[in-house]
Amino acid sequence: MRLGKIKINHYINYLLIGVLTIVLGSITLAGGKFDNSLLFLLEKMGFNIILAVSLSLVVGFLGELSLGHAGFMCVGAYLGGKVAALLVPSLGNGLITFSIALLAGAAAAAICGVIIGIPALRLRGDYLAIVTLAFGEIVKSLFQNTSDESFGGTLGLETPRFDRNYLFIIAFVLVLITLAVVQNYIRSKHGRAVTAIRDNEIAARATGINVTKYKLLTFILSAAFAGVAGVLYSYSNYRVQSAKFGYNYSIEILVMVVLGGMGNINGSIIAAVLITWLNTWLPTKLTGDLAVLQNLLYALILIVIVIYNNAPGLKGFRDKYNFGALAKKLIMRKVDPSRINDDKAKWDVVPTKISMDEILSVDMKQQEVYTDRKRGGKD
Amino acid sequence: MKKVFALVLVALMTVAMFAGCGGDKNYAAENTEFVIGVSGPLTGSAAIYGTAVKNAAQLAVDEINAAGGLNGIKFKLVAMDDKNDPSLVSGNYSALLEGGMQLSLGTVTTKPGLEYKNLAADDNVFFLTPSASGDDIPSNANGYQMCFADSNQGQVAAKFVNENFKGQTIGAFYQSDSDYSKGIFDQFKKNLDPSVQLKVTSFTEAGATDFGTQIDTLKSCNFIFMPIYYDPASLFMTQAKDLLSPTAVYFGCDGFDGIDSKQGFDINAIPQRVTMLSHFNSKATEGKAKEFIDKYVAKYNTDTLNQFGASAYDCVYALYGAMQQAIANGKEIPVTISASDMCEILKEQFEGGYTLKNAVTGDEIKWEQTGYVNKTAIQYVIKESN
Amino acid sequence: MEEILSTLINGLSLGGIYAMIALGYTMVYGIAKMLNFAHGDVIMVGGYLIYVFMATNNPLLAILLACIGCVILGVCIEKIAYKPLRGASPLAVLITAIGVSYLLQSLAQIVFGSASKMVTVYEFGSVQLLGCTIQVSSLVTLAVTVAVMVALTMFVKYTRMGRAMIAVSEDKSAAQLMGINVDRIIMVTFAIGSALAALAGLFYLLKAPNVFNTMGAMPGIKAFTAAVIGGIGSIPGAMLGGILLGMVESVSYKITAIAPYTDAIEFTILIVILLVRPTGFLGKKRREKV
Repeated sequence: MRLGKIKINHYINYLLIGVLTIVLGSITLAGGKFDNSLLFLLEKMGFNIILAVSLSLVVGFLGELSLGHAGFMCVGAYLGGKVAALLVPSLGNGLITFSIALLAGAAAAAICGVIIGIPALRLRGDYLAIVTLAFGEIVKSLFQNTSDESFGGTLGLETPRFDRNYLFIIAFVLVLITLAVVQNYIRSKHGRAVTAIRDNEIAARATGINVTKYKLLTFILSAAFAGVAGVLYSYSNYRVQSAKFGYNYSIEILVMVVLGGMGNINGSIIAAVLITWLNTWLPTKLTGDLAVLQNLLYALILIVIVIYNNAPGLKGFRDKYNFGALAKKLIMRKVDPSRINDDKAKWDVVPTKISMDEILSVDMKQQEVYTDRKRGGKD
Repeated sequence: MKKVFALVLVALMTVAMFAGCGGDKNYAAENTEFVIGVSGPLTGSAAIYGTAVKNAAQLAVDEINAAGGLNGIKFKLVAMDDKNDPSLVSGNYSALLEGGMQLSLGTVTTKPGLEYKNLAADDNVFFLTPSASGDDIPSNANGYQMCFADSNQGQVAAKFVNENFKGQTIGAFYQSDSDYSKGIFDQFKKNLDPSVQLKVTSFTEAGATDFGTQIDTLKSCNFIFMPIYYDPASLFMTQAKDLLSPTAVYFGCDGFDGIDSKQGFDINAIPQRVTMLSHFNSKATEGKAKEFIDKYVAKYNTDTLNQFGASAYDCVYALYGAMQQAIANGKEIPVTISASDMCEILKEQFEGGYTLKNAVTGDEIKWEQTGYVNKTAIQYVIKESN
Repeated sequence: MEEILSTLINGLSLGGIYAMIALGYTMVYGIAKMLNFAHGDVIMVGGYLIYVFMATNNPLLAILLACIGCVILGVCIEKIAYKPLRGASPLAVLITAIGVSYLLQSLAQIVFGSASKMVTVYEFGSVQLLGCTIQVSSLVTLAVTVAVMVALTMFVKYTRMGRAMIAVSEDKSAAQLMGINVDRIIMVTFAIGSALAALAGLFYLLKAPNVFNTMGAMPGIKAFTAAVIGGIGSIPGAMLGGILLGMVESVSYKITAIAPYTDAIEFTILIVILLVRPTGFLGKKRREKV
């Protein structure tokens, strides 16, 4: 759909999140109070969306597998939290402190992004994946062994918590900023260079794209936003405890990206929201003796969704029964024959579905030569 | 444009659905039973501790209910899983509170507990944790501990060593990435007499497979302080049984408890002497502890029997007793009382020197104004040397 | 001198276990080109099976039954969770592998409870050498690991099935055109990988006789690290990486001051090695073709 020159599809996520923020925000500012469970859930959704979107930059667009995203978040959370803890006595626990902490956390994470970006220039596929995983574990272990005065050691760092009635507004504003930066980056010429590197590094190099620069830049950007998410985390918890940021959490973020569809920002957002909700909702329903069923259900949901979404054998089934087709049937009965559904020729569109063979192993050849990789039914 | 409006509408409707206005309302207004909430690891690597607390607390609740509850009002226990992950606590806590929780056992472990204590302080919710032993847990007026605080255990252990091993060399073995183990060890080291030589070795959770190197370091020690949980301890002892001197002594804290009921582990095959400083002994042969063990084993089994459960059992009775005392003092406790009002009543009792008598983990349990527990730690000999 | 020697021996014995797990990882990765994150949990299942079958009081029978159980499990996992995704993105397979890992862990907790169980498979005792005590079980572990490594290498190099495996790992569609049944080859790969996992479970239990539902997670990650250090996909590389990792861990635990940082040190060494040798010690370097 077009509004003049602007494509609504590109901005639908801003619109939805923006409206949600404004509505909820104005209720809060008007003196209304939400249940804590909703506030906490929104905060978590906020930083998880930022994490998923920023990881999507590396995994979906640069095509490198990262298993240490939580490590960047950890750096951001500790550094941002420490700065905030130091500043609160003099500046108060307000927006100024928050902004400074945010910058500090993002900068610290970005520096780590450089550190991990450099091996990324040399390594590919699984080797890079294991290096990022190692990075996450190193960061976790280092913060665990700090002294009580610096970063709190095993007990973690005590950080100021923002007023819980307002933090979610800030979280969603940060989500919007993240989206603005990431989407503009992807849709700019830099973004096209990044996807070119993903699709074929040698060809990209041959056309004169500075591979080093774009790889580093993407890693730094992704890390910086993970740092932002970390600062948000530190502000939505009373304490930052490094045990949280192990590879399990990195994998959870990766799950969001993969479930949402590689290189599909909106998909990542939806997956982040769903998984965060699932993780909060399942324990409330399965209490006591039933708690063991949580992981079972979570695992089953994960396996079923991934197989449904990705199995080549289910392609026909998927095309017939999916939410997109259903929604289309409901919303647009009539199909305008003059509309061209193909946007191959447009410059401002980045292909959203990619063949991921190169991500895990460079030396694997395209297997499904006959699969028609049609870009889903975008209008 | 229609589509956009439709989407915005959907978004607004979602918001409207969520927007039940909260705030300082009494979530317990529709309760028909007193609700006790607890958050603990019911899955994951620490699941055994959460399971023990859940089981034992349920046992106590069932008993109280069978005996008629509090003036006919029954109790209900809601145990939620936090996987020992502090970031899940806010969700659990709010779900518990909004589900009508009036009394709380806090969290089972320290890491999530550090989050919980602040959340509970914000809403003025009383909690008495069975086993979150971090020093900071009861730092607010609404938080109390049933177990000994880590620093307390470290100091007591150091005192024991100072009295018995002046001028000698002893070994210490701790888990460097566990707050419990490191907390006790740090205090122990701090309070140790300078004349005592200390040989220190540690492990991390990820490396709790092969203790060969650590055993090697402790080879010459005759007394080994091990502030760790019984699971790695049993592994260490199995691997070390022929390598360390058979006259050596293992000295643990309350984390050791349960080691002798671990399935498949025969403590009598360990030649060394095993002792611990604890408030509960899962092989107790008399008194209230024995009663508890019999009841617990009959209902569940020995697998999950440990001091976590014993503390939780006492916690439920302590809350129950404090409520009874409050009623005896003329307070009214309706079943729909809000968590915050309940907190005020219980705080008054606990600050006023409420004592739990004849309990599983102590004959007389009192609480300091700081929230720390005041009871006697007993040195149990789990096994004499062969 | 004695201290150094005993530290190295401890490292070797620990390394043997890592090597054994890494062999399974590398086998599956080399042929099926997928990171089988559930490998550690198959080890856990193997541990529980040994625990259950030890009721027969016959260690050899228990190990045999555990191996069979793990092979059946591995093949089932492959058929149900991985096969439908053949030809889909490897990342999707990675995520289902993680799903399978959670599934096995929670099933184990449902069946066996949350308490860990101790199981003594067999006591080998120890021998004295140059003033150091050496556990015989460690020697057995090392010997079996080396034997398995040699057997696997021979199998892959000299048997029809093994050569078919190499063909599948090189190019699935070309292998198919040559008349190789790719599905069957991958199934056999998983069967071998799972049998190796059961063996790894056994050696883990000989060292640390403790079975619990998350026991496979961390050794799995570390063994994966070991496989990468050695060059993932390379069978001798897995052995080398495992031993190296065991040594590093043992030395690091020996020095009190750096002991708490052991995990960080291991992973730092991994990064450094990969920076110097981007495909590990024995990994194949492949030219990227345009």
